[in-house]
Amino acid sequence: MTNHDTHITALFADDAQAAEAVSALRQTQWPVADVHGPIPSQAVSEALGIKKSGVGWFTLAGGVFGFFLGYFLAVFTSARWGLIVSGKPVLSYIPFFIVGFEFTILFSVLANVLGLILLMRLPANRDLPRYRPECSADRFGVVVGCRQAEAPEVRRFLTELGGEMPGQADTQRDS
Amino acid sequence: MEKLSFAEIDNTVNATLEPPGRMYWTVVALLFCGVLVGAACWGWQILVGIGAGGQNSPVNWGTYLINFVFWVGIAHSGTLISAILYLLRAGWRNPIARAAETMTVFAVCTAGLFPFIHLGRVWMVYYMLPVPNQRTLWPNFQSPLMFDVVAISTYLIVSVLFWYTGMLPDFAVIRDRAAGVRKKIFTVLSLGWTGRYEQWRHYSRGYLLFAALATPLVISVHSVVSWDFALGVAPGWHTTIFAPYFVAGAIHSGLAMVLTLMIPMRRIFNAQRIITMHVLESVAKTIVFTGLIVGFAYATEYFIAWYSRNSVEMEVFAFRSTGDFALQYWIMVICNSLVPLLFFIKRIRTSIIWLFAISIAVNIGMWFERFVIIISSVARDFLPHAWGDYAPTGIEYGIMLGSFCLFFFLFFLFVKHLPSISMTEMKELQHQAGAHD
Repeated sequence: MTNHDTHITALFADDAQAAEAVSALRQTQWPVADVHGPIPSQAVSEALGIKKSGVGWFTLAGGVFGFFLGYFLAVFTSARWGLIVSGKPVLSYIPFFIVGFEFTILFSVLANVLGLILLMRLPANRDLPRYRPECSADRFGVVVGCRQAEAPEVRRFLTELGGEMPGQADTQRDS
Repeated sequence: MEKLSFAEIDNTVNATLEPPGRMYWTVVALLFCGVLVGAACWGWQILVGIGAGGQNSPVNWGTYLINFVFWVGIAHSGTLISAILYLLRAGWRNPIARAAETMTVFAVCTAGLFPFIHLGRVWMVYYMLPVPNQRTLWPNFQSPLMFDVVAISTYLIVSVLFWYTGMLPDFAVIRDRAAGVRKKIFTVLSLGWTGRYEQWRHYSRGYLLFAALATPLVISVHSVVSWDFALGVAPGWHTTIFAPYFVAGAIHSGLAMVLTLMIPMRRIFNAQRIITMHVLESVAKTIVFTGLIVGFAYATEYFIAWYSRNSVEMEVFAFRSTGDFALQYWIMVICNSLVPLLFFIKRIRTSIIWLFAISIAVNIGMWFERFVIIISSVARDFLPHAWGDYAPTGIEYGIMLGSFCLFFFLFFLFVKHLPSISMTEMKELQHQAGAHD
């Protein structure tokens, strides 16, 4: 990978074109810094070689924790009561399953959200400088890193692949 | 499905967020007045005591519980549409998923008020929380009412998070088109969403997991609500059919409310090309399905009462259809089971007027279903000398009016300030159909 000091964004009208551009770029020395799009796309994900998200592990951990927490809460509070209600034993494990189940869902979802926040690194306002607003509307933006001197060549390469070059698409590297 | 470009979708939805006119604010003000009426009635009840309502022995659960169950039920079809139909990849759900999710959130908020209202001494609400009270007593998790607290709280939290997560990409669309203060607000709300594929990778997976978790949750929540009754040893309540019966009824009422909300919304916002007749027709077909389940449940209740040869059970069901609450019973049967059958006729289920009228009928019928279930069983309990009647008081009607106004007030505010149609899901739908550009 070359050292790059600027980014060039090319906008593509559909995800197939963007995926094709990503595949072509991966054969060059110019790294694909980012791809932005209005919808998730299988073609782009495959071209980028993106792996399955690990957010499910957060969800699973939250669910397991929630289940035991719910059960523990029901057992603990009933043990503190120590009263027989409706003829049920003080520790009625079957009805306690309902509390355990609801807590499983609750903590799975909370952990799912936590996982999303951590993995997507939200809030991600620092990404906005390299982002083109067209990418939330109807364009797929491929952001390419390169050296300033190579910019014309990269632009030509991306244009040949069907990319549009919006004004001021180059952004200086922010680090 | 009509082909729409991504830009057309964005333009249609963004047009709904244009500054509203005087008519809109008039309606919002009227609804707010209704909310104030409800709040005033509740305030009066707090001042003079729970006796301001008509609930009394033997009918200790009146309109407060009826409305609680009604609004929880309304919430359910939102989750059906946003989560269950998402898992089933039913494309027709996409245009109405956001509005249905919103309906869920506001309906659960409205429902959640009723346990507070019914408490009377609302400041004792912390008795329901898992903390010991001043007598060092903990909540009793063997009680179905405590199951309910846990289930409804979970449902509210999950629905709000699901709703907000689903809106993130749409907030970014609005941010990118907005200027000034609005841009700042949506920049905060969108959390810097840029549609990076690294974001989509986690988002798509997380959203799928949300849907997968919301699906069993929605079934469990109304089952738990039904057990508020089914675990009580009262004739007409103490039955195992209640959980599926309540879940089907909840979805039935919620789908009707979806039609009630979507039909004016598509007209007001000129969204006929997004919320198409096919979408409304699909909702109508689902109402036929849930209506048949509900009708089957009504019949099963009678069959089981007869088959059990339990005289009290038979007496209660005979009382339901021929006694003091027979009018409410027959409204329930006709509106919920018979009227939706009209949707078998294509001309009716593709007529806006019929769709709207039948949706209103089902809403009314489902409210009366809760009335019949909750009131009739305790009004005719085991002991004839303990029998009694029930009629709501003006305070209860006021609070009920307030609850309806609150729901529509929140929904009205929502449709003009946040994206009421999911642009992202519509784009995905168009993309799958190969209609992009």
